[in-house]
Amino acid sequence: MKALLTPVSPQRAPLSRPSLMREFHSPAEGRGKVRARLGDALRRARPHLLLALPILLLLVALGFGAAAWRAERDNAAIAALVAGKDIPVSLSARAPLLLARVQHLARRGVTEEIEPLIESLDRRGETDLSARARYALGNARLRQAFDHLERSNLDPAGPLITLARQDYRRALQGRPDLWDAKFNLDVASRLLRDFPEFDRKTGDELKAEPKKIWTEIPGQPRGEP
Amino acid sequence: MRRLVPLLFLLCSSLAAEAQVRSVEVRTPRPFGYFLGDLIRAQIDIVVEPGFALQAASLPQPGAITYWLDLRNVAVTQASVGDGSRVRLDLTYQNFYAALDARALEIPGFVVSFVSDTDKGATTAKAQVPPWSFNISPLREVQPPAREDPRSYLRPDGRVASLDTQPLVIGGAGFTAMALLAFAGLAWDRTWWPFAKRGGRAFAGCLRRLRALAGRGEDEAAYEDALLALHRALDETDGRRVLADDLPAFLARHPAYARERAGLAAFLDASRHSFFGPGPAAAMRRLPLADIVALTRKLTAIERES
Repeated sequence: MKALLTPVSPQRAPLSRPSLMREFHSPAEGRGKVRARLGDALRRARPHLLLALPILLLLVALGFGAAAWRAERDNAAIAALVAGKDIPVSLSARAPLLLARVQHLARRGVTEEIEPLIESLDRRGETDLSARARYALGNARLRQAFDHLERSNLDPAGPLITLARQDYRRALQGRPDLWDAKFNLDVASRLLRDFPEFDRKTGDELKAEPKKIWTEIPGQPRGEP
Repeated sequence: MRRLVPLLFLLCSSLAAEAQVRSVEVRTPRPFGYFLGDLIRAQIDIVVEPGFALQAASLPQPGAITYWLDLRNVAVTQASVGDGSRVRLDLTYQNFYAALDARALEIPGFVVSFVSDTDKGATTAKAQVPPWSFNISPLREVQPPAREDPRSYLRPDGRVASLDTQPLVIGGAGFTAMALLAFAGLAWDRTWWPFAKRGGRAFAGCLRRLRALAGRGEDEAAYEDALLALHRALDETDGRRVLADDLPAFLARHPAYARERAGLAAFLDASRHSFFGPGPAAAMRRLPLADIVALTRKLTAIERES
């Protein structure tokens, strides 16, 4: 083996060395050239970059300023609505402003103007704000029902309570942790309870089982632990 | 059975079903302590023979189940356990039962179908998910203290928090500051005020001087001043005196200015005519002041790039 290898290796050595050197040098030269070209291009572009940068930054700053100004204006409108001033709000307004308008209308009891506002919130996917708006609508309807009940007008009160309960339910569907809606739904439910047996069966064959209809009447110990 | 968590129901509707649907297990986080409007979650594990696939249409559909119960969400995950396959249903219900006292409510069961398609035909298996119950609690006392105005029982409508403008103001101020800095950089590059006296911008200073001279109109003295100003700028750029014969050497030392070789040659020629030849009037005809200003403007641009 050694005798075979020794005459070969000295012949190869002078051949392989220059080829290796060439391979080693050319990428470094290429890299240097690329770097020089890049530096040249950067130097040439520098005046233009220096001109564009402040303009771009100023535009971004103006955008921020405009957004802050709009938010400030909406805040003023929200504050006015909370203070009780009747400020018109378009359907395309910002979501919190729509909710402020809904709460204002709910305080005044103008329920028919609230629905389109809530629909607009729903369309935008504002589940949280829409749930709070529905809760305010339910409150407004329940207050109207109380007005009727105080004047012993039982007939119009019933549908209003049902509507209020539906509003609370939809509010809770959108936001299950809205505790005020849970509480007020409880209040509304005690005014008008569900009659499950009437719902399930129709006709005259309804069995008179008062125990099942009014199961919630407390204070009747059933003898269970 | 209601007390057990997790509840375990084994289903044996028929011998065949027993073989195909191995087990049905209902798990709930807790069977008590729910209020009106709370979410009730249940996890149902059904283990079936391998090859049986769930029929999606047989799953309960989200929506109202009874007047007091909504099914909100059904999520299905499948995995293989041992030699069977496990189908896990994650159900989310919402309770709308306004309770006056703590009581147990039952969530109804349902049937889920599984199908195995083979060469001999399809085999259907049904898994009966049993009903399970949970305890709900009332939110208020049964008889709250009497009040004059029934509206005072209600919780208030709530208020909208005003929008937070602080991040916008901070962002605007930050970007304005950055824009000012960038403008300062631009002013430094273009030798605008207050960087008019900075070094290394000989042509820019010359251009300012030339513009002032150009405002004086067809004035021979002004023309000579303009020629001298550009001469001084050339000298300052090269660090030595540059005369007409030195142009090739100047361009060799500053190759960036080679683009304006013709303009520079014309300028040096006009300068020679003005100072050593017929005089400024003849030179002005060869190279008007406006051309010198245009040449200097180009030189200024090259100066900024180098």
